[in-house]
Amino acid sequence: MDTLVKLSFYFFAATSVALGAASVCYIAYAIGRVRVRRATLATSAGTTVTSSSADFAPGNVSFGQWGSLLTWFGAFFAFGAVLFRTIAAERLPTANMYEFSLTFVLAITIMYIIFERMYGIRQLGAIVMPIAFGMTLYIWSLPADMREITPLIPALQARPIMTAHVSAAIFAYATFAVSFAAAVFYLVKKRWGIRWLPSLEVLDDVAFRAVGIGFPLLSLVLILGSVWAHDAWGVYWSWDPKETAALFTWLVYGVYLHTRTLRGWRGTRSAVILLFGFAAVIFTYYGNYFFGGLHAYGGV
Amino acid sequence: MAQLTATTGSPSRSPVEVVIDRIWRFFCSVRMAVFEIALLALLTLIGTLRGSDVPQWIADAWPFTQPLVDRWYAWDVFRSPLFASLLAIIAIAIAVCTINRAPGIWQTISTPRIRTSPGYIDRAEVNARFTASMSAADLEAGLRSELKSRRYRFMTEQVGDQIHFYADKNRWAKLGTYPFHLALILILVGGIVGSMFGFRDVEFAVAEGETRAVGHGTDLSVELVRFTDSYIQTGDAQEYRSDVIIYDGGTKVSEGPITVNHPISAGVATFYQASFGISVDMVIKDATGAELYNQPLEVGFFNLRENPDAPAGLIRLPAQGVQVAVVAPDTNRANRPDLDTLQLANGQVWVQVSPLDANAGGDTMETAVLDQGQPQDVAGLNLLFERESRFTVLQVAYNPGIPIFIIASVMLVGGLAVTFYFPLRRIRGIIQDSADGGTLMMTPLAKRDWGGKREFFALTRDAGERLGAAPDVKRPDDEGNWDHHEADDDTR
Ligand code: HEM
Repeated sequence: MDTLVKLSFYFFAATSVALGAASVCYIAYAIGRVRVRRATLATSAGTTVTSSSADFAPGNVSFGQWGSLLTWFGAFFAFGAVLFRTIAAERLPTANMYEFSLTFVLAITIMYIIFERMYGIRQLGAIVMPIAFGMTLYIWSLPADMREITPLIPALQARPIMTAHVSAAIFAYATFAVSFAAAVFYLVKKRWGIRWLPSLEVLDDVAFRAVGIGFPLLSLVLILGSVWAHDAWGVYWSWDPKETAALFTWLVYGVYLHTRTLRGWRGTRSAVILLFGFAAVIFTYYGNYFFGGLHAYGGV
Repeated sequence: MAQLTATTGSPSRSPVEVVIDRIWRFFCSVRMAVFEIALLALLTLIGTLRGSDVPQWIADAWPFTQPLVDRWYAWDVFRSPLFASLLAIIAIAIAVCTINRAPGIWQTISTPRIRTSPGYIDRAEVNARFTASMSAADLEAGLRSELKSRRYRFMTEQVGDQIHFYADKNRWAKLGTYPFHLALILILVGGIVGSMFGFRDVEFAVAEGETRAVGHGTDLSVELVRFTDSYIQTGDAQEYRSDVIIYDGGTKVSEGPITVNHPISAGVATFYQASFGISVDMVIKDATGAELYNQPLEVGFFNLRENPDAPAGLIRLPAQGVQVAVVAPDTNRANRPDLDTLQLANGQVWVQVSPLDANAGGDTMETAVLDQGQPQDVAGLNLLFERESRFTVLQVAYNPGIPIFIIASVMLVGGLAVTFYFPLRRIRGIIQDSADGGTLMMTPLAKRDWGGKREFFALTRDAGERLGAAPDVKRPDDEGNWDHHEADDDTR
C-alpha cells in the first residue's frame, strides 16, 4: 500500500476511536444521571423501613462537552483520512463501499457539528454519533482489499457528475441521520416529557431543517443520477432497484414535508414518518446487499 | 373556479355542481396528497423489493406466502396501470391544488391584511410590547428602519388613533412550491413525450468498415472506422472506443470517438458505446466460383450447442438451402477456454454447414476448421475466413423529453432551495400614542416555528436598542429548553 493510503487508514482508525468515545460521552450526557434517594422511616412498631427512590437528573455537562470535543477530533481525523485518500487516488474517495462509508463518516460528523452549533443542543449526539461510530465498525468489517485503490470501471469514470451525485447522496443521508435523531428525541420527550431534553418545538425544527437540507440534496441525487445514467447507458431511468430505493426514500420524506403542514399530523406522526424515512435511507445505503442491477459494482 | 370551494352547502346548487365541488376538493386536499404520495411510496417499495431476494426470504420463512411471493415477483409494478393511474392522479392533484391556492397566495403577497386587534396580539403565544417616551410616529419610524435593515417590507394602516402594521420578509418564497410541484408534472410529461416520440435502439451493431442505417424515420447512418478496447493488468476493461463517422442523408455530419460516458450526438440521435464483439470476415463461393457471401459476420449473438461459451454466428443461404454456423475461439479467460471441446487457435474458425430445413436429415451436416486466408471446400461450398475484425454495439437514442427534464430539474431544485432557505417571516402589530409617550405591541406569525420566534426575539432586542426602550417580551413556556448551553448552567 501507498504511504498516503496507509496514512489515510490510520486516520480512519483514529476517527473510529474518537467517535466511539464521543458516543459514550453523549449517551451519558443525554440519558442523565440516576439519583438514588434513601429514606429511613420509623414505624410505630419500633422497626425501621428504608425506602429508596430513584429519579433522573440532567446529565453532567462535562460529558456533553467531552462529546463535542471528541466529535471535533473525529471530524478532524475523518477529514485527514478523506484528504489523504483523495490525494492518493486523485479523485474523491467514493468508489466502493469502503471509500463511500469513509466519506459518509466525515459528512455525518460535519453535519452534526453544524446542527449542534446552530441550536446549541448536544443531546442529538447520543444518536448521531453512535450511527457514525457504527459506520466506522462497518468499515472495519469490510474486506481489507477494499482499502487499496483501484481504477474505476469505464461506466464510473464520468467524474464531475458522479462525484456530485455521490457526494450529494452522502450529505443527504448525513442530514437525514440528524433528523432521525431529532425525531427519536421528539417521541421520547413527548412520551416521557424528560425535562432536560430540548423542547418539542426545537426538536421539530431541527428535524425539519435537516430535511430541508437533505430533501433538496436527495432530489439532486436523483437528478444527477439520471443524467449520469443517461450519459453512461443512454437511459435516464431504468427502474433499477437502487434507483427506485432512492425514489422510495425521497417519497417518504415528501410525505413528511406534507404531514408537517397538516393539523393532527404535525408533531408525533411526522416524527414517526421520519423514523420510516431513515429506515429507507439505511435500506438504500445497503441496497447493494439485496439487489443486482446496474449499481451492483459498488464493491460488495 | 375558486368560488366552487368558497361556497358550500348553498341550497340552489345542482347535483352536478356538488359532485364537481367534491372532486375539486378531493384533489385540493393536502390530506389526500399525503395519502397519494404514501401509496406511491408503498408501490415503489413493493417494486423495489421485487428486484431483491427479500420476498423470497419471506416465502422461506413463511412457506404459505409462497404463492403471494410468486405473484409479487411476477408483477411489474412500475409498468402497471395502477402505478400509472396514481401518477396521473397526483399530477392532476398538483395542478388543481396549484390553481386553487393561487388567489390566496397572491393576496398574501400583493395585498396582505394589515388590520389586526390588540386582543389577538395579547393572546398570542409570543409578543413584545414597548413603551417609550416618544410619539407613535417616532416609534413607527424607528421600527420601520429596524425592519428595513432586516429586509422586511413594512405596511401600515391608520385605524382610529392606532397605527396597525404588517411586516414580512421573503414573501416571494411562498411561490417556491409552485416551480417545485410543476416540475413534478413536467417530469411526467417529459417521460411521456420521450416514450411516445423518441426511440431507443439498444443493440445497434456496426462492424469495422461497415456503414449501417439508423432507421426509425431518420436518414442517419453510422460507419465504424475502428474499434479499440484496452485493459488494465487485472483484465478489467479500461476503455472501449469506437471511431465513427455519422452521415445524414449521405453527407457527413459528425465524426469522432465514442467512449463510455462520452456519447456523440448527430441529427436528432445520440450514440452511446454499449458493448462490442468480434466479427469474422467470411467469403463463401459455390462450386462454380460465384460469390454467395462476402461481409463481416458478427459473432457472439448466437451460441452453438457444441461450444456454448464461444462466440458464434450464423450465415443463412436460402438459395442453396443451407446455413453456415461459424464459431470463433473463445478469448474470455473467465470462460476457461482451456476446457473447450473445439480447442481453436487464434486465426482459426470452426464451421458447420447444414441444411436450412432441420427435417432434411442430419447426414448432410459437415464441419471443418478453417485457417485464416486458406479457402477450403466444405459440403460443396468454398469457404474462406479472411480475417477477424471488430464490431461495436452502440445504443442509439432520441429522447425529445430531454429539454423538458432539464427545465424540470432546475425548477425542482431551485423551487426547493427557495422554499427552504428563504422562510417567510411575518409580524403584525399596533402602535399608538399613550399617556406617557407611545406604545408598540407586536407578534410574529410563527406558530410552531422556532426559527421565526428566534428571529422575532432578535428583532425585538435590536429594535429596543434603536428605540432606547426595553421591550416587555412574552416568551413561550418551554423556551427554557431552547438553548441548552444556558440550561446546562443550572446543573453545575
Ligand atoms: C398529490 C399532489 C400534491 C399536492 C396536492 C401537494 C400540495 C402541497 C401543498 C399545498 C404544499 C404547501 C404546504 C404549505 O406550504 O403549507 C406542498 C408542499 C410541498 N410538497 Fe406537495 N403536493 C403534492 C405532491 C407532492 C409530491 C409528489 C412531492 C414530492 C415528494 C411534494 C413535495 C412537497 C414539498 C417538498 C413541499 C414543501 C414543504 C414545505 O414548504 O415545508 N408534493 N405540497
